[in-house]
Amino acid sequence: MSHTVLVCDDAIFMRTMISDILAQAGFEVVGEAETGSQAVEKYRQLKPDLVTMDIVMPDMGGIDAVREIVKHDPDAKILMCSAMGQQALVVEAIQAGAKDFVVKPFQPSRVLEAVQRVLG
Amino acid sequence: MDLSQYAELFLAESREHLSACNQLLLEWERSPANSTPVGGLFRAVHTVKGMAATMGYARVTDLAHRAENLLDLLRRGGRPATDELLQLLFRARDALEQAVELSVVGREDEIDVAEVVADLDGAAARLGRGGDVGAGMGAHAMPVSETAPDVEMPVVAGRLVQVTLRAEAPLKGGRALLAIKKAQRVGPVHAVTPPESAFESDEFDGRFSFRIGGAAGAAEIEGAVRSAGDVEHVTVGGEERRTAPAAGAPPSAAETKSRHIRVDLGRLDGLMDLIGELVTVRGRLNELAAYARDPVIDDVAIQVSRLSRELQAEIIQARMTPVWQVFDRFPRLVRDLARELGKQVAFRVEGKEIELDRAILDELGDPLLHLLRNAVDHGIEPLAERRRLGKKAEGEIVLTAVRERGSVAISVSDDGRGIDRKRILERAKRDGVVDPHAEALTDDQLLRVLARPGFSTAEAVTSVSGRGVGIDVAVTRIRALGGTIEIRSAEGKGTTFIMRLPVTLAIVRALIAGVGAERYALPLTYVAETVEFGVQATTIVEGREAIVLRDRVVPLVHLRRLLGVSGEAPKRCPIIVLEMGERRSGIVVDGMLGQQEIVVKGFDAPQGTLPVFSGATIMGDGVPALILDAGGLL
Repeated sequence: MSHTVLVCDDAIFMRTMISDILAQAGFEVVGEAETGSQAVEKYRQLKPDLVTMDIVMPDMGGIDAVREIVKHDPDAKILMCSAMGQQALVVEAIQAGAKDFVVKPFQPSRVLEAVQRVLG
Repeated sequence: MDLSQYAELFLAESREHLSACNQLLLEWERSPANSTPVGGLFRAVHTVKGMAATMGYARVTDLAHRAENLLDLLRRGGRPATDELLQLLFRARDALEQAVELSVVGREDEIDVAEVVADLDGAAARLGRGGDVGAGMGAHAMPVSETAPDVEMPVVAGRLVQVTLRAEAPLKGGRALLAIKKAQRVGPVHAVTPPESAFESDEFDGRFSFRIGGAAGAAEIEGAVRSAGDVEHVTVGGEERRTAPAAGAPPSAAETKSRHIRVDLGRLDGLMDLIGELVTVRGRLNELAAYARDPVIDDVAIQVSRLSRELQAEIIQARMTPVWQVFDRFPRLVRDLARELGKQVAFRVEGKEIELDRAILDELGDPLLHLLRNAVDHGIEPLAERRRLGKKAEGEIVLTAVRERGSVAISVSDDGRGIDRKRILERAKRDGVVDPHAEALTDDQLLRVLARPGFSTAEAVTSVSGRGVGIDVAVTRIRALGGTIEIRSAEGKGTTFIMRLPVTLAIVRALIAGVGAERYALPLTYVAETVEFGVQATTIVEGREAIVLRDRVVPLVHLRRLLGVSGEAPKRCPIIVLEMGERRSGIVVDGMLGQQEIVVKGFDAPQGTLPVFSGATIMGDGVPALILDAGGLL
């Protein structure tokens, strides 16, 4: 059975792109979230194998969402989607419990490598 | 146990830690309220102390111990830096460096640190506790060894793990933290250097180390670290704990051995020479194979070519060293100079990770030192002058390394007053360096004037740059390395020196050109293209024969005439266009005999030789050929 993924990003463009990269590699994207609180909610409902999480989102940011999710599921496998210059935020996200990160602009091969590391 | 075999390692590692101390002190000076650098300082000094104690260098150990006491108090107190404290710590660091260097060469007796020791103890006492907190047995008190009663042994430390992330890895801090999290799964991690807070900074360059306890083997630790991704290098050292080995099976050799060894540079030079000879023989074999037209010989020749090429690439790679190994001492140097001269200077280093042949890098220290000194002393204006001109109070100096095609460009740039061309022009006219009717100096002419031995640009002689000498030293040294140097200076805006250096000295690809009966090699580094003379129209520009190539004037140099070769040049012959930064020149030769790899041999030019040769090489057929110096021809 293929792994299930929840894709969290406030930009449709990014969600589409990440979904495409993962779908082409055989993952099943079971849900998308536009805000941190949606991400927390959908994680509870869907129990995906993997979450991709943007850092900056309205309502609740990605790092707070990581904290919320990890509070209920310490084994949650969350991959942060960050941008150059977000060094401090990435460090904070990892401390909060994120398992790995990728940096925009995304290269499919690097995204998949990171996914393998998180799931492996 | 004979410790002398470890002296070199001790020296190398102590230097690294002391260099880190400089960076940390500078960091603390920049933001005095942020006390995180103190933790790093404490650990660095602590490590040096432990190593020195193991080596039996009592004075180094003592000095490090006093410095550590003070740092420990500062670390616990979370106190902001004061100027007085920083000066003391800088002094202590310098004294420690000197003590380390003297101890290693067996001149420990000459170490005199009484004054700085007294000051360290005084400062520690003023901070509210007795001088020797080591006796107080805090968290960092150390057990006293039985074999050397006066000397403390290092704290139980676990294995030292050193990690380098890939240069291209983005957000290295995040990656480093992940690696540490992964390592924590196989054993307790401590003594992370730089401290984790440094991972949040974009300055973090991807090199970090930590100690790991527990029973995990080297392979397991390395595997855990690598699973974080983007890891270039992991070195897992042996257990540093100096207690009797626990009963039971000793750790296997594979677990305790580091995967890196230090090799004497002389060995690498020897290997390079041998490979050089191999390359020469390979050339001869290829010529024979081409001549024999025997498929069996051909096959062997091809294999020998491939193998020797790979061997050569490996050995060149082994010689490559990142420039930070030389650059890292400059921030402190610039700071000290600026302070001495009462100037404010922000110094930045870019491209630290760029690699160069160790032999070239070792030669770069002095020229860069001269240029940086000049920038601080003559480039950056005094505070009052900068204010008057409406410039930022803080002058800026940037040292940059950039990889270009076949070379590395290193530049030293300041935003100071620029070079006073009028004054230099007057002087140049007096000295007869330029035409007495010249109205302005081009950048090239400016450099030529500045590069004259002893030429002074300084109004006043200062203790820093002496008489403005230094540029001639830099120019000579860079040219001797087969490199070039350019200057760009704008009055009121600043000066930039750009040096271009070959990545390696030993083997280069070169064009082989024929003139008369001789062959000459021209390294490809600076060859832009070749065109044909006799087909291309020539013109006269500023009294020199030139061709126009894509709207740019390229002055010509007839090698035949330059070298005084008699006889008639062919009607149509190749022009090799050299390009170096903004400068171009077309070298007219009789014919082109192909490209090949040549082994560069040093060459002592007899007096009176034209300054256009940089060395010599042996061609595949065993006949020597001279190597043309692109810098000299331009």
